[in-house]
Order: sequence, then C-alpha cells, then structure tokens
Amino acid sequence: MKVFVFAENQKALLELCCGARQIGERIEAIVINSQDDKDTEVADKVWSIPQQDNAMLEDYTETIAALLEREKPDLLIFEPTKRCKLIAGRLAAMAGTSVMTDLIELTKEGEGSHLVYGGAAIRKEKLNTSLAIATIGPGVLQGSKETGKGEIELFPFVEPIRKIKVLNKEQKPKLSVNLPSAKRVIGVGRGIAKEEDLGMIRQLADVINAEVGCSRPIAEAERWMPKETYIGVSGLMLAPEVYMAIGISGQVQHTVGMNRSKVVIAINKDKNAPIFGQADYGIVGDLYKVVPALLDQLK
Amino acid sequence: MNIITCFKVVPEEQDITVKPNRDISFEKAPMTISAYDLNCIEAGTQLAEANGGNVIGISVGAKKIDDSKLKKNVLSRGPESIFMVADDKLENIDTYQTANALKAVAEKIKDYDLILCGEGSADLYAQQVGPQLGQLLSLPAINSVSKITLADGKAIVERTLENELETLEISLPAVISVTSDINLPRIPSMKQILAAGKKSATIWSAEDAGIGNLSATLGVIETKAPEQMDRKKDIVQGDSEEAIKSFITKIQEVLK
Ligand SMILES: Cc1cc2nc3c(=O)[nH]c(=O)nc-3n(C[C@H](O)[C@H](O)[C@H](O)COP(=O)(O)OP(=O)(O)OC[C@H]3O[C@@H](n4cnc5c(N)ncnc54)[C@H](O)[C@@H]3O)c2cc1C
Repeated sequence: MKVFVFAENQKALLELCCGARQIGERIEAIVINSQDDKDTEVADKVWSIPQQDNAMLEDYTETIAALLEREKPDLLIFEPTKRCKLIAGRLAAMAGTSVMTDLIELTKEGEGSHLVYGGAAIRKEKLNTSLAIATIGPGVLQGSKETGKGEIELFPFVEPIRKIKVLNKEQKPKLSVNLPSAKRVIGVGRGIAKEEDLGMIRQLADVINAEVGCSRPIAEAERWMPKETYIGVSGLMLAPEVYMAIGISGQVQHTVGMNRSKVVIAINKDKNAPIFGQADYGIVGDLYKVVPALLDQLK
Repeated sequence: MNIITCFKVVPEEQDITVKPNRDISFEKAPMTISAYDLNCIEAGTQLAEANGGNVIGISVGAKKIDDSKLKKNVLSRGPESIFMVADDKLENIDTYQTANALKAVAEKIKDYDLILCGEGSADLYAQQVGPQLGQLLSLPAINSVSKITLADGKAIVERTLENELETLEISLPAVISVTSDINLPRIPSMKQILAAGKKSATIWSAEDAGIGNLSATLGVIETKAPEQMDRKKDIVQGDSEEAIKSFITKIQEVLK
C-alpha cells in the first residue's frame, strides 16, 4: 500500500509518517516548502510544494489534488486539525469519496474506527474507493523508527480557483496548563455553584499535584474555564494516572474523554450519577463538605 | 438574500441504549434535529433578521426524516420553508452521498446566496459535509466559523482554529460550517410555533431529486459500544465525618 501523509504541524507529520509504516510499505510525505532535512528521514519520499506568499494552508488543496491524480496513492492520511479536515473534505469531493475522520484505530486492511453517538459507540468502517482518505491523531499509530530513503521532489503549485482573503490572523493565548501530559487531573463539573468555588478546587489540585480540567458546560455555558480545558468527546481525550471527577454526572460525552485513566475517583451527591459506574473510588456526598475535608487532611 | 440552512435528522442521543452484546439500540430514541444544526439554523435566521432575506431549511435522509413534529420544530426556528429528500434509498448515507444529495436540493432551489451547515452531526461528527458540499458546488467552503457578518456580496467570518483566530473575507455564494459557539439557539415562542404550522415543506423522493443511484463510498463494518474498563466501584455512601474519613483513607493510597 502506498500512503501519503499531510500535516499542519511538523511534529505531527513526523509521527504520522513513522506510524504509517504500520499500514503501508511506501510512505511519502507532502510538505509545503521542504527545507528541513528532518522531513526526509521518515518518509521514502518527500513531495515539496513551493511556499506561496500570503497563502492559507487550504490554498494548497488543488496542488495536493493534482499530486494525488498523478501519483495515485492508496491512502492519504491527515493530521486531524480543522484546516486539514477542510482540505480532506474538498479532496474527497474531487475524488468521489468520503473521509474517515478522527480515527482511533486504522488497520493494514484499511479499516478505521472512530467514536460515534457522542462516544456511546465505536464505528468500524472502510472506504471502498481506490483512494482512501483519513484523519488520524499522531498518537494513534504507534510509530516504528524505520527510516526511509528520503528523496525530495519538487511539485509545482497549482493556483486555486477560489481564494478566501485573510483579513486578520492572531495566535490564541497559550494555555499555561498542559492537561494531556498531566499525571493527575481534577475534572470539575456543574456540581460547583459559583465561579469563586473553583478556588477551592485549585487549592485541592495544588495539594495533590494535579491540573484542573472541566466538563463542557463549565467551559461553554458558564465560561468559568477556558474552552481548551474541557474533557470529552468534543474536547480533550485524556488518560492520566488519576482522574478525580468533582460534581460531574458522568454523561458518556464526558466519560469517553477520561475513561482510559488508570484510577478514577468520583465525588458526587447523587448516588445514581453514572460517574460512579466508571469509578474506582467514590463518595456519595456534598462536594462542599468533601473537598474542604480533603484539603484539610491531605495537606 | 436566500440563506439555505442544512440540518441532519438524527436519533436523540440521550435515548440511545446499549444492549448486553454491546450493540446500539435506537428503539427508544426519537428522531430530532442534530444539535449543531440548531446553531446553523439560528445563524441563518439571525443573518436574515439583520440583513433581510429568507431562510430555507434543507435535509436529506431516510423516509422517517419527513416527520411533521420535526418539520414544525425547524420552521418555528426561523426558516420560511423546508425542502427535503426523504427516501429510504438515503438511509445511512455517507458524507459524500449526503453532500451530493444536498447539492441536488440546492440546485433545485437555484436561487441562494449562502449555504450554512453545522460543523458536524451529533451522531457521526465526521465534519465533512460542509467542505464536500462547497467543493461539489464549486463554491468557496470554510469550516469552524464562530461569527458571520454580511456586506455587499461578501461574508466576513471569524474562524476559531486550534491555535489561531482568523478573520476571513469570502465572496458569496459560499458554504460555511458553523460551530456551536456562534450563538445560543432560540427557544421558539408560542407565536413562532403556531406560525410554523402555516409554512411550507416540500418533500422529494431520490428520483425527484435526480439522485436515484448514488452509491456508497464507505462501508460500515460494525457499530459497538466500547468495552467498559473494569473499575473497583468502591463507593462510600454519605458525607458524614466518618464516611469522608473512610473515603480519604482509600484514596490516600492512590494519591501517595
Ligand atoms: C454533541 C454533544 C457533545 C458533547 N461533548 C461533551 C464533551 O466533550 N465534554 C463534556 O463534558 N460534555 C459534553 N457534552 C455534554 C454532556 O452531555 C453533559 O451534558 C455534560 O458532560 C454534563 O456536565 P456536568 O457533569 O458538569 O453537569 P451535570 O450533568 O449537570 O452534572 C452535575 C453533577 O453534579 C452533581 N452535584 C451537584 N451539586 C453537587 C454538590 N454540591 N456536591 C456534589 N455533587 C454535586 C450532580 O449530582 C450532577 O451529577 C456534549 C453533549 C452533546 C450533545
């Protein structure tokens, strides 16, 4: 199988190229303006598209389409970013196929799995077209270190027919927490009554050496925490050593983001809260009694 | 100004159940409007309210999407009319088929300035129909849009990406996929609900829409609930001093 790889971020490109070796014999990377020798170490070939002034990443879609048309790979994999999903979708429409998005597994046979129904189920699917397209997280395909030949070939830019004008672009402020790499995470949910009460949760996090994330309503409805910190199917997918859910009911959309944690601890006043079904340790109680006691006794 | 808002009809997520063999059951799940498409319809309605114009709701799927309660729900949220392809030939179609079917509907409507889609559907969340539809119609397509304003034949949109915020100018017509941040969908008033009953809905078969033989590009092998992790489920009942103490003793081990 010949696999082409395209990513928005260099690190993801390298990881996806390495991982793609699990699936295909020949791995070729598509890179905008390849200058970095590092690109060539992981792929058998690098297609370098000359960088254009003021071009969005999406403006390279027609060029990638022309490359696919000529080189006919069996599989094209993308990093699962918004930009890549847009490019993937447009390419799929041109090629007459669909895209398997956000895969959590991809086999040699081309069978992809992804979460559906808000995480309630995993769907296994397969494209039956000559070109298969998928977006897949870099961590999913466990990388092998095998290196490629590393030849670089220039592929000429194809001018897009329709251009979107970029009026302004700003970096989002960088988050100070890195939840995916935290060993311990406290997830806080609607069980807290007011924004100030997050203070007590943060104190507890300090005491037990954890980072704080939340359920979606705390970020999206209440806006008490940054959107980038909510856990679940449409947010972060975490697998820390310890996850402590405080005032979180445990709806499946949330739990898919934390159910790979090694140990789960739940604090909830409702004994029927589904979170208890997914917890190793728990207490049916008022978090306003339990958290201060924890603070007091764990200090 | 004609604004087409696309919506998907999906089983109500809260009512999907898992069978002992980990199969998924929809028996208790009524059909409803996909969550993100409520934002899509609301965005179209707000644009029409601000700029003048007419909102049209369109959907494609199996025969069961032609449901009077559901259509009324859509029409009470702002659209003046609905066009649907409701045909069992379109049961469980993939994103390429969906985009093609929506394209057929848009082409039958002919006169439109903007097509809005939700970022992804609540059931499959492939986030592909908007980008594919734009490409199939040879129109500019953009995703992840969290704000839209319209000015002389153009849309100025804000796009929220992983690490960046972009402001873009897009010439119309265009296909724009919107995120759930773009607005808070309205709760229709009694008046709007009553008015919805008088609005029109046009239902076509796949033949009528000229998409009688769209073949699938994607095959589904299986859909199963994930295997549950084995958890200890050592749950302390109640928050008496005693109970809290026992809870702390248990977790102290883990938190060492
Ligand atoms: C398409 C879609 C995608 C979604 N994606 C996500 C996602 O990625 N992440 C996510 O988190 N959600 C997501 N959701 C929302 C999800 O379905 C739930 O609504 C959400 O997770 C609930 O958040 P919560 O547990 O904080 O709130 P609630 O469900 O309201 O639960 C609050 C809990 O706090 C408990 N409580 C209240 N007071 C106290 C107290 N004093 N002491 C102790 N316990 C108390 C209650 O018993 C209750 O169990 C999604 C929904 C949809 C439809």
